[in-house]
This record gives sequence, structure tokens and C-alpha cells, in this order.
Amino acid sequence: MNQIAIIARLEIRRAFFSRRALWVYLLALFPAALFLGRGVSVNYDRREYAAKPATPAVVLDRLPVGTTDAAALAAAGPPLRDHTWKRAQTTHRSLHYFDGSNRVWLQFENGALKNTRRLPLNSFDQDLRVYAGVFQYFYLRLAVFFGCLGIFINLFRGEMIDKSLHYWFLAPVRREILVLGKYCAGLIAAAAIFGGGALLSFGALLSYQTAADVEPYLRMDALAHGFWYVLAAVLGCAGYGSVFLAAGLVLRNPIIPAIVMLLWESINGFLPELLQKLSVLHYLQSLCPVPAPIDPSAPPLARMILSPAAPSSVWAALLGLVALTALVLWAATRTARRLEINYGTE
Amino acid sequence: MAVFKHGYQRYDGPLTGPVTRFLAVPRYAWPKLLAERFVLVLLLVSLFWPLLCAIFIYLSNHASLLPNLNGGGEAIQKLLRIDGNFFATFMNIQSTFAILLAAIAGPGLIAPDLANNALPLYFSRPVSLGQYIGARLLVLFGLLSLVTLLPGLFVFGLQASLAGSAWLAANWPLGQGMVTGFLLYILLVSLVALTCSAYVKWRVVAGALVLGFFFVLAGAAQIVNQVFHVEWGSLLSPGYTVYTLWCALLGVETAADAPGAGECLAAVLVLLGALLAVLLRRLRPVEVVA
Repeated sequence: MNQIAIIARLEIRRAFFSRRALWVYLLALFPAALFLGRGVSVNYDRREYAAKPATPAVVLDRLPVGTTDAAALAAAGPPLRDHTWKRAQTTHRSLHYFDGSNRVWLQFENGALKNTRRLPLNSFDQDLRVYAGVFQYFYLRLAVFFGCLGIFINLFRGEMIDKSLHYWFLAPVRREILVLGKYCAGLIAAAAIFGGGALLSFGALLSYQTAADVEPYLRMDALAHGFWYVLAAVLGCAGYGSVFLAAGLVLRNPIIPAIVMLLWESINGFLPELLQKLSVLHYLQSLCPVPAPIDPSAPPLARMILSPAAPSSVWAALLGLVALTALVLWAATRTARRLEINYGTE
Repeated sequence: MAVFKHGYQRYDGPLTGPVTRFLAVPRYAWPKLLAERFVLVLLLVSLFWPLLCAIFIYLSNHASLLPNLNGGGEAIQKLLRIDGNFFATFMNIQSTFAILLAAIAGPGLIAPDLANNALPLYFSRPVSLGQYIGARLLVLFGLLSLVTLLPGLFVFGLQASLAGSAWLAANWPLGQGMVTGFLLYILLVSLVALTCSAYVKWRVVAGALVLGFFFVLAGAAQIVNQVFHVEWGSLLSPGYTVYTLWCALLGVETAADAPGAGECLAAVLVLLGALLAVLLRRLRPVEVVA
């Protein structure tokens, strides 16, 4: 244990402070930056719309599809914004109103009302669903995946490219210990960066909500939700990290397993239920407290095929991820014992 | 005469022609790339979708052979129609293989030259920076054409031969649009791969960067749209912007409130310019001696 701790301490600085880590920080902090930006935008909108004239919702609701733009203008009065553009022989016009709590867009095609789009200034429930989507579709699937690729492949493959791995192998330490030490360093760095990123973005999401919305949530679910999001991010780092560490040990070009894994995880939703369970993402998503929304604008065929498997139980998900990590690490330590350095082929 | 008095003498022997010089890099790079097992596997897998499309084209042109389809519903007739939507879907799927191939083949083109300080060796010969980049682009152009342009032309040619000259005369713009769209896409993917290869000296990291560039930006575009309830975030995704341009070239309608072809073209041009600027900055043929 002492040796593992020493190796981890030596490696961890590289994982945290190398120039390459900048990309990892950007990936981890991007959602937090977006939600902070959203907070600024919501606060600005609240101030802006408070001073604008409101059109009663009942007037806007009364306009049926097919109403001409002139008739809509006569009924609803001058809009806050009027935007007209032309695309493929069709003239589009969008009239923007505010009904006191929602922003409303009346969308016309060739002068006839096609649809009415209504968006509240801010909806906490909707933001929670958006966060679930961002966390599961972007954070786990892309940010944690590519971040771990950068951190864990660097641990062995990076040393081989730098032609410095033999220094580690000359040290009086067993190869298994070396693998575990390096893995711990990578895991601590990845968990701190991505766990911290998840927590920060969750905090940013709550920061701009109204007290009426956020106080009951803070009393009831906020802590539990925050905990599960962070745990999912950390376990994602553990699972993906072990795979990429092993890939860096076994293969000269670890991008190939990364491509295979990326494709496998990407088509996960389209696979039969049994195959869906053979992916890291399935177990990570099972840990998430809010299910990710399916994009309503996705083609009907895609929505039909896209049938997420029933989430595994929390214990099954935890056990599955830990078992996968342990298995891959065991295989990696076995490989490391037989590893011979041949810098010439790098 | 003492050896030290020889000094430097310019080579004044015969020079190879500019075209031969330009083709020297692809001539060596192509066999090397095709010898890689994963590249071959990817090339083979990428032929699967064109093959399915060819079967679909055959069926759509022989609908009378299918039972219960004669005079079938309008929905089935629409489904079997070979139009802009068909080619847009075809191009969309083949483009994924182009990204994967670029991630495998691209990083090895410039990164080793930079990592081993080999640029002075190139530029001490009668090769300009433009020729160097052009030769590298040609390597990727040849490789990516195998999964994009060639299958596309095959599919288009098959449809033209089965549907007859009337279809060809009426749908000639589809072929033009497909070729133009693929050429633009190959240029974009190749430039991304070369820039990543020049930006990071490690092949492995450069490959990850190529993948990340397309996949992460596509994801980032989606979440910008979701978080801010806007549509302009799609402009951040190179895949989306190119797809919108394809739709415009093929006469396919896209969502009315999403960014249009003009905005997407501007975004692609800005991206190409930025990639070229980074590439030129990284490939300065100078050697700093400390």
C-alpha cells in the first residue's frame, strides 16, 4: 500500500498539472460554465421582461392555426419582436410576445399561423430534466469518456512515447503495484476533476432558481441527487479509466479500442436490452436520479428503436461497475508482468 | 585541397518534376496506410451501407417484383423513392466512417515529422509549405474518397443506370450536390486531422483529438441548444453545419427555425480558416537552435 501511495503521489502531479490536462478541465467545466451563463441570461430576462407589456395568454391561445399574420397582429397588438426570413420559396415570420410568465412565439409560414411556441422564462422542473440530459448525453458519454482517454492512456503509453517507462521498471517495485499506483493517480485526478465538475454544474443549475422552487428541493432531494450525480461521474472515471489504462498497456494504438468503445456506447440505446447491459454507460445511467429525456424532435423511427433498457438496481449497477473495473485491472496487471519495452516501434 | 575549403555547394543536378515531387508523399503513404489492419477493416465495414443502399435502389426500381406492392400506398411509394433525402442519409452515414478513418490515418501524417524534427529535411528540398500541406491533404483525400465519393458515385450511377436517362436528366443536381458535398466534407475532415496532427506531437493524442473534435463539438452544440433554448448552438457542430449544406445542395428541407445554409456555410468557412491558420502556424519551416 505504501508503494502504491508513493507511485500515485509521484504521478498525480502530472495528471493534474500537465499542459494536456487543460483539455480535460475544459471538458469537465463546460456544463458548469453553460449553466452559469444560463443563470446570467435568466436573471437578465427576468429584469427585461418585468418592464415589458404583457399580452394576455387568452388572446394568444385564441388564435387558431392558419390565422393570417395581419389578423394575429390585429388581435394581439404589436409584438415585442418581429422577425421575417425566407427559405426555399417559403416566407417565415415569427412574432414574439410575453404573456406575463411565458415567452410566446407565433410562427407563420407564407402568412399563415403554423404553430405557437411557448417557453416559460424559467422552469425548474424543465431545467432539472435538461440537466439530466446534459449529464447523461454529454457529461458521461463524451466529457468523462474523452477526459479519461486523455488521463489514463497517458499513464503508460505516454511514458513509452517519452521513452521513460524503463525508469519505473528499474525501480524495485512489482509491476502489479506499479499498475495500481498509476491507476490510483489517474483515478484520483479524474474523480476530482469530473466529480468536481458535476458538483459545480449542479450548483450552477440551482444558483439561479427562485427561492420558491429551490427551497423545497434543497430540503427534499437536492443532496441525494447531487450525491448520485457525483458518484456516477466518479464511477464513470473508474470504469472508463481501467479500460483505457489496459488499452494503453496492451496496444500500440489505443485509439482503436477507444473508437470501438465510443461506437458501442453510442449505439447503446439502439441495442437489445441484454446487449445494452454490456456497457459502462448503462450502469452509470442506472445511478442517475433523473432519467434522461428523449429528444422529441428525433425522427419517429429513431424514437421507436431507441428503447432504453430498464435501469439496473443501484446495487447491481455499483457491483457491475466495480466488477468490470476489477476484471480489467486484473488483466492489465497480468499484461504488465509480461510487458517488454520496445521504444523503437513507437 | 583541404576538406574544409569545399564549403557549401548548391545541388545543380537534374530535378524531378513538380507533379512527381508532389505525389512522392502519397505514393509512400497510401500503401503504408492500406497495410494497417484496422484501416482495412474500416474500409470493408464502410462498404456495408453502400451495399444496402444498392439493394434498396434495385428494389425501388423493381417494385413490381415485390408482392403486394403493385399500386401500393403512397407511403410505400414515398419510402421507395430515390431522392435528395435518400442521398442525404447515405452521405450522413458514410461521413461517420470518414471521421473514424481520419482519426486513424490522419495523426501519422504530420505528428512524426514534428516530433522527430523532420520538417527541415522536407523544406531543404524544393518543396514549398503549400506543397507539403497539399501532399498530406491528398493522402487523406484518396483514403476518404474510398468511403465517401466512390461509393456515392457507385450508388448514383447504379440508380441512373436502373432508372434510365429521364431520371438522370431530372436528378442531375443530386449527383452534383453529392460530389460537391463530399468534396467539402473531405476537405474539412482532412484539415481537422492534419491540424490535430500538427497541434499535438503524439499520434495517439492526435487521434483522440480528431474524434473528440467531431463528437464533443456535436454534443456541446446540442447542450448549448438545450440549456439556452436556442437553435444557433448547432453552428458549433461541424457535422450539423455540413449536413445542412448537403441538404441545401440536395434540395432537402431542414427545420425552419434551425440555422440555414447561409449561416452554416459561414460557420464552415470560419472553421476552415481557423484550422488552416493553426496548421500554418504550427508548420513553420524554421529550426530554432538554442
